[in-house]
This record gives sequence, C-alpha cells and structure tokens, in this order.
Amino acid sequence: MATATPTSFTDQVAVSDEVAEFSPAVVEEMRSHLTKYPADRTRSALIPLLFVIQRERGWVDNAGVNFLAKFLDLEVTDVWETATFYTMFNLRPVGRHHIQICKTLSCRIMGEPEITDHICSKLGIHPGETTEDGRFTVTMVECLGSCGTAPMMQIGFDYYENLTKESVDKILEDCN
Amino acid sequence: MLKEPIKVTINGAEIEAEKGAVLIDVCRDNAENIPSFCYYKDLAPQASCRMCLVRIDKMPKLQTSCTIKVTDGMVVTTQSPEIEKAQRSMGEFLLTNHPLDCPVCDRGGECELQEVIFDWGDVEERFKEEKNKAPEKYLSPIVANDPQRCILCKRCTRVCDEWMGEDAIEAGNRGANTVIGTYGGWLNCSQCGNCIEVCPTGTLLDGVYRHATRPWELDQTITTDVYSSDGMQLSIGSRAGEVHRIVARDRYVNGLNGEFLDVKARFAHEFINHPDRIKTPLIRYSKGGKLIPATWDAAIKYVAHKLSAYGSETAVVASPRLTNESIAALGFFARDAVKTEKVGVADRQSMAAFFENLSSPLATHKDIRYASTIVLIGGDPEEEQTYTAKQIRQAVRNGGAKLIVVNETPIRLTTKASIFIHANHGSVDAFALTVLDASNDSFAAEKLGVDAGLLGDVRDAVFETKGDVIIVCGSDLSSDAQAVIAATAGSLAGDGRRVLLHPLPLYNNSVGAIDILGGGSERDALRSAKAAYVVGSLQDASLLAGKEFVVVQELFETETTVHADVVFPAASFAEVDGTFTNNAGNVQRVRKAIEPLNQSKPDWMITRAIAAEIGVDLGFEPSATSAFKAVADAVPAYEGLRYPALKDESSPVQAKYEIASRDVSGAVDSLRRSVDAIQPADKINETPKVGHKLHRLTTMTSKTPQFHLLANGNPKPDNLLVSPLVQIEPSGAKREMAAAVGVGDRE
Ligand code: SF4
Ligand code: SF4
Ligand code: FES
Ligand code: FES
Repeated sequence: MATATPTSFTDQVAVSDEVAEFSPAVVEEMRSHLTKYPADRTRSALIPLLFVIQRERGWVDNAGVNFLAKFLDLEVTDVWETATFYTMFNLRPVGRHHIQICKTLSCRIMGEPEITDHICSKLGIHPGETTEDGRFTVTMVECLGSCGTAPMMQIGFDYYENLTKESVDKILEDCN
Repeated sequence: MLKEPIKVTINGAEIEAEKGAVLIDVCRDNAENIPSFCYYKDLAPQASCRMCLVRIDKMPKLQTSCTIKVTDGMVVTTQSPEIEKAQRSMGEFLLTNHPLDCPVCDRGGECELQEVIFDWGDVEERFKEEKNKAPEKYLSPIVANDPQRCILCKRCTRVCDEWMGEDAIEAGNRGANTVIGTYGGWLNCSQCGNCIEVCPTGTLLDGVYRHATRPWELDQTITTDVYSSDGMQLSIGSRAGEVHRIVARDRYVNGLNGEFLDVKARFAHEFINHPDRIKTPLIRYSKGGKLIPATWDAAIKYVAHKLSAYGSETAVVASPRLTNESIAALGFFARDAVKTEKVGVADRQSMAAFFENLSSPLATHKDIRYASTIVLIGGDPEEEQTYTAKQIRQAVRNGGAKLIVVNETPIRLTTKASIFIHANHGSVDAFALTVLDASNDSFAAEKLGVDAGLLGDVRDAVFETKGDVIIVCGSDLSSDAQAVIAATAGSLAGDGRRVLLHPLPLYNNSVGAIDILGGGSERDALRSAKAAYVVGSLQDASLLAGKEFVVVQELFETETTVHADVVFPAASFAEVDGTFTNNAGNVQRVRKAIEPLNQSKPDWMITRAIAAEIGVDLGFEPSATSAFKAVADAVPAYEGLRYPALKDESSPVQAKYEIASRDVSGAVDSLRRSVDAIQPADKINETPKVGHKLHRLTTMTSKTPQFHLLANGNPKPDNLLVSPLVQIEPSGAKREMAAAVGVGDRE
C-alpha cells in the first residue's frame, strides 16, 4: 500500500501580494458567474471562477488566487483550500497539452499501465512532470466517468478513448 | 437556571435540560462520558470524527451527539455494546495511519488522542498499512507543525476563523493527503497560538517550547496574563525554577477565557528567566557614573536615608503592570513614609475619567459574548485587548449581535460591523457628544466627517435593542469624552434593555492602578519633584532628567534606569503572589510559579523594607495575603475581598464600583470646546497589518527571539523544515550560516 505523506507542494509557492489583472471582457464573464448565486453566497462562484483563472493564466497562480480572494471577499487560504481539493485545478504550471490519464479500476484492467509507460517513455518524463519544451504534462487522475471506453485519457477538455499504443502515437503527433 | 427546561432520558435516567442545548453537553453535564475530537463548545459543528456516537430512540442509526439538539422526551443511550463497537472502530481507523510517535511528540502526556485511545482503543491493531510520515516543519516562528499526526478534526481551522477572524489556516488537498496548512506554507497571522492550544494531537505545536521538556515534568501554576487588560487566565509550566511555556488555563475548564490566549500572553514569557535580568541592587554613587552592585542592606539604607530627607519633594510613580499589592504599598509609602501628594501612574492612556463616572455596571467578557448590540468607540481591541475582540467577533458571528464601530482607523473588526462610523483623523471624541444627546448630531457629524443620518442609525440601533447593549470605550478617547460616555450610558437603558460598559485600558493592571492610586499621571507627579521613586518604567523617561535622586525598581535596565541613582531588582509576575484587576473589574490572582530569581524581591516587599528603614510601618505583614488585605481595606470597590474568595479562577469576582448618575456638565463643556477646535482632517483608509501592535518589540517581548522575526515582517525562510531562528537574523535578513548548517532545498 502506498503511504500517505501529508505534505503540500504549495508550501513552495513564494506568496506575494501581486494581484492578477484581466481584460474587461473576462472580468465581465466572472461577474456573470456571480449572478448565478444568491447575493450573500457569491463565494459559491469560486469553482467556476477558478476555471476562468486557469484558462486565462494557464494555471492557478499566486496572482490569480489573490485576485479571486479580493473578488469574492475571501481569505487567500479559502481559495487555496478549495483549489487544492479538486485535482482539476493546476496549482503549478502545466504544459500546453495537459494529458490526464485515468488510473482507476476499469482503465487499469484494460491496459492503462502500458499506455502510461508508452506515453511517458515517448515524452521522456514521469507522471506529474512537464516536458522541457513545455508542450506536455502528464498527470494520473481518478475515474473520468468513461469506463465503458477504457482505457482513456483527457487532453485539455477532450476525451480520447479506447486507447491503444498506436492511437496514442497518432494523438500525440496531432498535438502541436 | 434553565430558561426553557425540557425532559430528556439519558441511559434510563430522566433529567432536565435546556431546550436546544447540544446533546453531548447535556450528557457530559450529567456525568456521562462521551469521547469526542472535533466537537468544541461554541464553535460551528464539524461532525467529522464520529467518536461521539449515541443511540437515540426512533432514529434509525447511531447519531453524532455533537450535532443533535435535545428535544422534549428524547430517549438517549450513550453506552451499549453497539455504541462501544462503533467507537472502538473509529479509534482503530484513526490509528491506521497515525504514526504513534508519542515518545518524541511534544503533546505526549496531554494528548486527547492518547487519552481516548486508552479507553476506547484496542491493544492489537489489525491494519497493516504504513504509517504517515512527514518531516517536522514550521508554519511560522511560533507554530511548529508535525503534519503526520493530524486527525483532521479541524478545530484549528475553526478557532482561527471564528475566534480570531483570520482564517489563516485551512485544510488543503484531499483524502489521505489532506494537510492543515496555508497557501505558501507560511503563516502571516497574528500568531495567537490558539490553533496550537485546541489541537487534540501533536500536529500544531508551540514553537517556543519545542522539545524543551515533557509536559508531565512541568509544575502548572494558574495565574493571570501580564500583558493585556483582559486579565486572561493562564497556566505557567515551570521546572526547576525555569518557566518553559505558558498555556491557557485548562483544556477542560472554561474559566474566564477558556483556551483563548494571544501571542504575547502565550509566547512572550522568555523575559522571565532572561540572563539580562537585573540581579542585585545597584547604586550609582555619582551622577554620570556607573551602576555598581550593592548589598540589599546598603541599598535600602541609602534609599531610606535619601527619600526621608526629600520627604514630600519625592514623586512616587507606579507602573500599571504591577500587582495591586505593590501599587498599594507605593500608595501607603507616599502617604505615610514620605508624605507626598505627588503620586502618579505610568500609563500611556489613562482611563481614570471613565472609572470616576460609571453610570452603568461593567460588562463581563461573558456579557459581551451574549450581547445584542455592541458599540465600539475608539480602541483597537484586536491588537490590544484580544479577548474582548474575540468575544465581540463571536457575539456577531455565533450570536447574531449587531456591531457598531466608531473609529478613525478601519480596524479589522469593521468588516464585521453593521454600521461603521469612519471618523476623520483626530475626531473620534466628537462621537461622545452624540451619545449624550441627539441634538449634537449635526455638529458631531460635521467634525467626524460622516453623514448625520448615520449617527441617527446608531441611536436607533441602540434603542431598538432588546437584551444587552455593550458600550466599549477605547483608551484613545480624551478624558472628557471617556467621562461623558461613562456618565451617559446609564440613561440609555430601559425597556428590557441593559446597558453595560466595557473600557479598553492598555495594561494588565491599569484598572487596579486607577482603583488604588487614582488618575494622577507620571508627568503631574514628577513635575516639581526633586526626587523620584519609580516602580517599573516610565512612558517618558526624560521626565527624570535633572531629578536629584531617582530610585527605580525594574526587571531590566531600561531608559528609566539610565536616570536612576539606585536600582532594585524586582521579581516578575511569575515570581510573586498578588492580584491584577482586569477591564471587566475582575480582581484575579497572580500566583508564584517560581522563586524570585537572583536577588530579586516582589515590589511591595522592597517598598515595605524602605519604609521600615525610614521607621514607618505600612500597615501590613510581610506576606502577600496581608498586603492584599490592606488593599481591600483601603479601596472601597474591593471591600471584603480576600485571597480565598478569589481562589476559583473559573468564576472571577468583580469589584463593586459605585454606579450612580453623574453630573458631567464640566466635562461636557470642555469636550464641546475641544471638539469645536478639531480641524478638518483626512481619513485613514488603510487597515493596519495584523500584529502591528501585538508584535511590537518592547522590553518584555523582545526577550523572546521569535518576536524579532515577527516584528521584522515574519519573512518566510528558505527551508520550512528548520527553525526560522537559525535561518533568519533578528533583523529579518537571511543568515549566511544557513548554508553552513546544511540547509538545502526541500526534496
Ligand atoms: S496562530 Fe492564531 S491566527 Fe495564526 S493560524 Fe493559528 S489560530 Fe490562526
Ligand atoms: S492540526 Fe490538530 S486541530 Fe487541526 S485538524 Fe489536525 S488534529 Fe485537528
Ligand atoms: S476507470 Fe477510467 S474512466 Fe472510469
Ligand atoms: S465530536 Fe461528534 S463527530 Fe466529532
């Protein structure tokens, strides 16, 4: 059994007071998320807004976290608590193509280990790492709800299913 | 008395309980032992540990007693094989990955996990999983952290949010990887240490005490905080004449402050055993010369000889940090030994005018917690009277009280306020006029730089209140404003509404000093004096320049001792018996934890010895008990008090101040004149940084090395696994030697 080692890589973040800036259109988009929730519960918009931050800045960085804390009148730690709970939020920079390989039961039975090995050796990195050219990051994730088409992975927001080594080669080639 | 009693059956016995009380409390009040981890009285329920399971009739499954409110006719079973099995399983689960490194854990011996597992654990473990492992690390110079021991009860995160209003610490990540921490891994909070105190395990630990002794080796002495005027009760842990740590009164007894303390009360105790303490009496034989060690005999004789010669030309000044006994001894000394009128207190902002004009009783801290409306005029309780601030925050957050803040600075509490009167710089006194009379509103509003309607809103809020209105008055208000507020409060009561007053003096015994010596300032006392007898240090030591003969009693050499001809080594609060009076008028015991260090003596004893040498009996025997009896006989508000009456620190005794309607027309007139003279000024818009006063270096706090780091911006060290004291200079600069001691990057 793997050991749980309770440490947090966000300990390494050099926290500053810098606050991210966004174009008026993006701020408008964020405001529109607020309107979905009761006026005194705007903190509920935290998750959709974290997605906006991630989209705009590539990952959930310090300046983005500070922006959200101010925007929603929360403490920075509240944003941190939520952002680290969900694996969908990247609290460290990721490559242009973020490959998330499902490692849960169905996929594992259907050959996930070989697929993972194949991808990793092809890219020359371990799970959790980013290629030197900044193109790819590989992350292992839990079930993505596509068990019927296992093994599968997600790149960006797209699903790639029924993976074989050959189809993976093709998929990676298509990523610029 | 119970307000709405209902009948509940617990384990077959029918008992009376308060409607809406939490079941776990009701069971415990009736001597049923229920184990718990996450439950903490008066914090939001968490229900994550599931140790507190009970069976309630008509409910399908075992229930968590910490989340259930009792209802009439409820039938509860707290002990049965079914419940025990469930609780034992919870204990077993908690230990699946808990390291059980008790032998090296600072909490070992007073750990709630240990205690519960002793009763509900099994000798053998069935799980074979590997245990949590993590290196020890620091979350700040004050908060040491061993993340592997956490049981995720989240008491720490809740006290930080609900008590401190800081939300500095939270649970990150998820599942088995959940850790208590913060973004960036470094806490820039007020460092109150309450998260450490409430942690049931050895996860969050005292960074000042780290690995110093084992808890069971310490003698515990219950005493009173020497910093803030809240008079928080605490327990000094000492061993062989050395103070090692301070913790709150008791984990299980809710005294005045429960487990609440602040950074100074809990961690700034290193001054007690500090090598810089003055060790012997010192005499400066000629002005400008050096202080030379002398014997007690010689020094006392010399001082007695000199002071009796100066007689009424002597000024006597007491520090508001002294015990009532020492302050009173000085008062008697001034009256009987040197027969001087020149008596003063070295307080920065005296609240004597407030105490002279009480028209309403003082609020206890408990009253504040359950108040309906709180009006905070001036002051900065979050930095100076932290326990009052905590009670205000909880009243608002957990009790739904309305908070009205009147301040020149947007202090942090303003974010909790329903009305914030943001006064112009230097104008907060003007608010006192509107407390007095609505007809002053427009005049005051103009000076305060706010809309007059807002002042009307405040009045409406007060008069609409059913229940308690607490008027909290800062010491930064002028004496006239304080007098007017104290004298007017009584007239606001009525209609089922109580109005209580709560002052915010700055020092641990500012109130006792006023009660005993009155409102004289150090400046007035010293103005025309030729000689000075100062116990403690002055706010402004330059007042001593040019005095012919100066005697000082101190712990350390300070700016005041620079002017001294004779210095006596005084004993610190941990070395004496006595009393302090807090801002709620509670007279509370100070108890001797260790013997006076070096040759130091309690201040009252030194004063008594000088008087005896002059040939005057100050009227008490050489014992603290006798000294306190003399205090109680001399001060009307303390009439009849004796040490035995103050024995139980969990039910503090309030002094009996005279409450009367007062004529303050003189103060009103002079207040009106001074308010009229207020010039329009800008507003302060910036909320000061957390800790801007708490972390300030003073003679006492600067002796705890961690405070230097806090005062210098609490920089995050390169390596969180090594004490920041090793890595960072007191100035805040990174130390070169970090590399030398092998501090590398974290893997
Ligand atoms: S020391 Fe106090 S303010 Fe800081 S994290 Fe702990 S509870 Fe919160
Ligand atoms: S650190 Fe302590 S108080 Fe906080 S969740 Fe863990 S065990 Fe509970
Ligand atoms: S197990 Fe891989 S998608 Fe469900
Ligand atoms: S005390 Fe009830 S669930 Fe933890």
